[in-house]
Amino acid sequence: MNDMPARVLRRMLAERSLVRLAVLTLAVLIVFSLVSSTYFTVINFQSMGFQVAEVGLLSLAVMLAMLTGGIDLSIISVANIAGIVTAQLFKSTGAATAEPGQAFAMTVGFILIGLFAGTVCGVLNGLLITRLRITPILATLGTLQLLNGIAIIWTGGQAVYGTPNVFLNIGIASIGLVPVPVLVLLTAAVGTAVFVNRTGMGLRLRLIGANPTAARYSGLNNDRVLMVTYVASAFLSSLAGIIIAARSASANADYGVSYLLLAIVIVVLGGVNPMGGYGTVTGVVLSAFVLQMVSSGFNMVGYSSFAYQIAQGAILIGVMSLSALARRYHVEGRSTLLNRWRRTEPSTAQPPEGKRDEEAHQPS
Amino acid sequence: MSWFSSTLRGVPLARLRGGNNEGVLVLSIAILSVAIGLATPSFWSLGTLLNVSTNSLTNLVFAMGVLIVIISGGINVSFAAIGIFAGYSVIVLANSTGFGASAAWVGFAIAAGIGLGLGMLNAAAIAGLRLPTLIVTLGTQGIIRGALLSVIGSKVIPNYPPGLDNLSTNYLITAQGAASQGAGATRLSVLIIPAILICVLVSLLLRYTMVGRGIYAIGGDAESARRTGFPVVSIQVFIYALAGILAGIAGMMHVTQVRLANPYELVGGELDVIAAVVLGGASIFGGKGSVAGTVLGVVLIALIKSSLILLGVPGSWQRAAVGLLLLIGVTAQALSAGVQRRRIDLLAESAP
Amino acid sequence: MGSPEPLLIASGISKRFGGVAALADVTLEVRGGEVHCVVGENGSGKSTLIKVISGVIFPDAGTITVGEQSFTHLTPRQAISLGIEVIFQDLSVFPNLTVAENIAMATYIAEGRRTVAPKALRSIAAKALSEIGVRLDLEARAEDLSVADKQLTAICRALAQDARIIFMDEPTTALTWREVEALFRVVESLREKGVALVFVSHKIEEVLRISQRITVLRNGVVTVIGDVADFDRAAIVQAMTGRSIADSQPSPSLREDMPPLLEAQGLCLRGYFEDISFSVRPGEILGVTGLLGSGRTEIAEALFGITPPDQGSVRVEGKPVRLRSVRDAMAAGIGYVPGDRLTQGVFLDQSIARNIIAGSIQRLVGRLNLLRRSAADETVRRAATELRIKMPSAEAPASSLSGGNQQRVVLAKWLARNPHLLILNSPTVGVDVGSKHEILDMLRAKSHEGMGIMVISDDVPELVAVCHRVLVVRQGRITDELVGDRLSEEVILRELAA
Repeated sequence: MNDMPARVLRRMLAERSLVRLAVLTLAVLIVFSLVSSTYFTVINFQSMGFQVAEVGLLSLAVMLAMLTGGIDLSIISVANIAGIVTAQLFKSTGAATAEPGQAFAMTVGFILIGLFAGTVCGVLNGLLITRLRITPILATLGTLQLLNGIAIIWTGGQAVYGTPNVFLNIGIASIGLVPVPVLVLLTAAVGTAVFVNRTGMGLRLRLIGANPTAARYSGLNNDRVLMVTYVASAFLSSLAGIIIAARSASANADYGVSYLLLAIVIVVLGGVNPMGGYGTVTGVVLSAFVLQMVSSGFNMVGYSSFAYQIAQGAILIGVMSLSALARRYHVEGRSTLLNRWRRTEPSTAQPPEGKRDEEAHQPS
Repeated sequence: MSWFSSTLRGVPLARLRGGNNEGVLVLSIAILSVAIGLATPSFWSLGTLLNVSTNSLTNLVFAMGVLIVIISGGINVSFAAIGIFAGYSVIVLANSTGFGASAAWVGFAIAAGIGLGLGMLNAAAIAGLRLPTLIVTLGTQGIIRGALLSVIGSKVIPNYPPGLDNLSTNYLITAQGAASQGAGATRLSVLIIPAILICVLVSLLLRYTMVGRGIYAIGGDAESARRTGFPVVSIQVFIYALAGILAGIAGMMHVTQVRLANPYELVGGELDVIAAVVLGGASIFGGKGSVAGTVLGVVLIALIKSSLILLGVPGSWQRAAVGLLLLIGVTAQALSAGVQRRRIDLLAESAP
Repeated sequence: MGSPEPLLIASGISKRFGGVAALADVTLEVRGGEVHCVVGENGSGKSTLIKVISGVIFPDAGTITVGEQSFTHLTPRQAISLGIEVIFQDLSVFPNLTVAENIAMATYIAEGRRTVAPKALRSIAAKALSEIGVRLDLEARAEDLSVADKQLTAICRALAQDARIIFMDEPTTALTWREVEALFRVVESLREKGVALVFVSHKIEEVLRISQRITVLRNGVVTVIGDVADFDRAAIVQAMTGRSIADSQPSPSLREDMPPLLEAQGLCLRGYFEDISFSVRPGEILGVTGLLGSGRTEIAEALFGITPPDQGSVRVEGKPVRLRSVRDAMAAGIGYVPGDRLTQGVFLDQSIARNIIAGSIQRLVGRLNLLRRSAADETVRRAATELRIKMPSAEAPASSLSGGNQQRVVLAKWLARNPHLLILNSPTVGVDVGSKHEILDMLRAKSHEGMGIMVISDDVPELVAVCHRVLVVRQGRITDELVGDRLSEEVILRELAA
């Protein structure tokens, strides 16, 4: 137990993707600090901190689904549902004009209700995937639409205003130098890391993503674990939704639509394998910060947010290409043709989306 | 078309159902039409038919591109971005250089060319590097949209070059006694001709060429396709290039019909198209799908949207309705697939 | 009427996967107009040999000679152009295309055709069908066909390609008796055309009936080559399951007064097995044997909740148990080491430690579902010591281990649970000799401690060396129970060959 920090550090260093990320972080930091004098300042970092939490939480949500070899496309819709529920409650009870003490209690209560509402959406996803056996892409594509539609119906397409100051503090206050959203993100990250790395359920999650057949033969109860995964993903998305609402002082059915791409970029850059079984929370969080730094840097240099979108897409494809190429040349064997036919270990050959090809050639 | 020729051991009922559940779709559309017609008699008018047709033109062409990708076992979410990029760029080009200002078809050709180029981005990553299709197309969507908005322009353009302007008001049929909808609702745009032509061509491609059969083969079993000697990489490049061309054309159609070049449009509406293709019987796992089914899927969704409007349901319900419809359709597919699965397959789980 | 000149000679073929030799210096000679059977049980290397010859896998050593040309390895395209066609067990038939397309597709591709004219496709397909006198609905989709018809489609596809050598991997596995007869008629007409057929099979009756020459493989090595006329059933079975260097230390006798650990009564699963009744006593090692396809694996997996039986009952330690799922079985104290290690047993890219604790997660969590690190480490350490797993560290991925060590890891996973009854399916396939000994010793040790053990296997010396009793399964029924003097290699071989 006493050598745990050392052990953790050693394990982190062993992860080449983490080392690469750390180097990347430094590189981005240096480049932008050189280019803009206001980059390497407390104010700028604080500003980044306020912005990174939303998408960081969403990335953690996507990571969980990807660890099991699936995907959750409905994260934004779930986030908005949570935000809308909370905001509606505020609006309809006139919380914005309530006494401070009352406002505080209402804030806490309504946030909890909002989180609950979003988490229930995760149950819906889980049911579709485990009971009705719909593949995660389609299931979450459907719920993305359905939940978005419900949100639009409820809000009439308008933003919902009326949040009390206590609530808004979440989005603008800092404890010491650290913005509150960052604290929320880090707490959630630690919680997720503990869940994924140190709990029995987290271990089951990884094993199911690594080899669902062997998981079945080891009695890992795939259905229950998948349900937990999508519920947890929805919870994290709901947290993100609350933060979005706090920062925008309102809730809207269509916020954050561009976050889906960003979340997936973050997750892939952070070293998570979309086919399942592999990924670290540290990588995802670090990657979220890196991308936020790039966004901030672009902003300072005068690039538009559209340029940032281009960068996201480019980073995503770039990272995946690099790891695909690296894998192709590192696998043992004489030629790439050989590697394509022999599948004793996960190969670069991708089965079609939605299908997991578990065929491995055992000598027989 | 395939639903006439597919035979399932000669069982007549199964033949009606069609290889891709086209029969079920036709039935659903029929039932829906009757139900709506009973609720709102004005539904049964030429106006509605034309309305539905005109509204679904763009989605139809997009859907063809999505269809071929899905049959090959992949998924493409970048088509809307390609479409609007192409459409908007052509307007900008025409307005600034006068190129293609008079002849509308030149604009379309340019749009197709742009779509081809953008489609090749997808092709390189997916066919060349074998990266997962969902993630690649998410990435290219970001790149393309970002490039459009930052490089080409982010302003809405209301001025159209004369050639396109004429095209947008070129109607094939004009119904008398306009229905209660506004102007334009009872007219059928001439663009329906190229749309139908494209559908026919894609259908022929899928059915009568080696490339087309190769697409099915890859979607059915990519490994076997390789073993049998199909040039898998070339076919995949073709798929994504063609999908790009079709997206470019569809984008151009949209921009023409709407008479306003808004670079923020189309992206966000991908789901309607994907839902239509999936509802039309294409399997997300690949290997299955037909033009007929996709057309029916697009029609069904357009019909539902029109019905909602006619029934006085607020437009905000449309998205929820499509989402629900998708879930129901997909559930039905999953359930019927589960029933057919043989006992030995207990170990292969469909949900990872 | 075999022509004296061989169409194809594969000589000195060797192939290693990880630490295990799948093929060692194997030679195969194929003559035209003749059916040549490659025979062997699980792990013999027969499938690997076919993959090498058809270009799916490159051998580490050896040459393949076809006519005048010699190759160190082939690619699939080359193999096809040389007239070599393989019909794998999965048939490689495109389920979503029609029969006509499936048959004619490869020809079209080879000819570099661009367009598809349904009429032309149909005529190519019809021609192939008529060559072997078979009728199929050309417009039917392949996925709607029966397995037998799919197979015929695959054969026609090979014919349409002017195949001169057709390999078929376990062709009669999923066929009914009538369909097998139809297949054999087709085989005869192919022979008359001078086509060479190579069947990979384990079904001795069919081998004797249909082939002219055979090559028997065991553990990657050729044990016997010759004309079928010179063999009888017993001789073939002996060559297939032959002698290995297993230690023949007999297990000590059991106490008769112990109540049974597991009693199975009247188990039935339609299509796989019926009327299966047996019992296992504490400390007993029960063997279950039978040839591939006899139902032996399904019986084991029924006890483990993977394919629950339609009828019948099971009692564990006197209490009736439901075995509708894997969790039910594990709750009843039953463990299972599966037959296909790579897909069912091991998490290849996960660490060895994770693999070992994968079955004991419930036991190793404390409050808040947190894993108890020290308990987990202890479990891994104990397992590694007990099973003598050779590994650089417990954090290394399981894929870095040899087959034998991987199998120890799977075993460790189950032993960590201390099951009442441990079922093992083909436990020493693809495992080096040293590990084999140690695994069998481990089983004996556990049985001493009172664990009940069932070993599903077709490795006859292994069965004799380690089991107290052996059940022989044939076509889904238990046909004999061997114990004492009758539990000997000769008897088992005779029963298997019968």
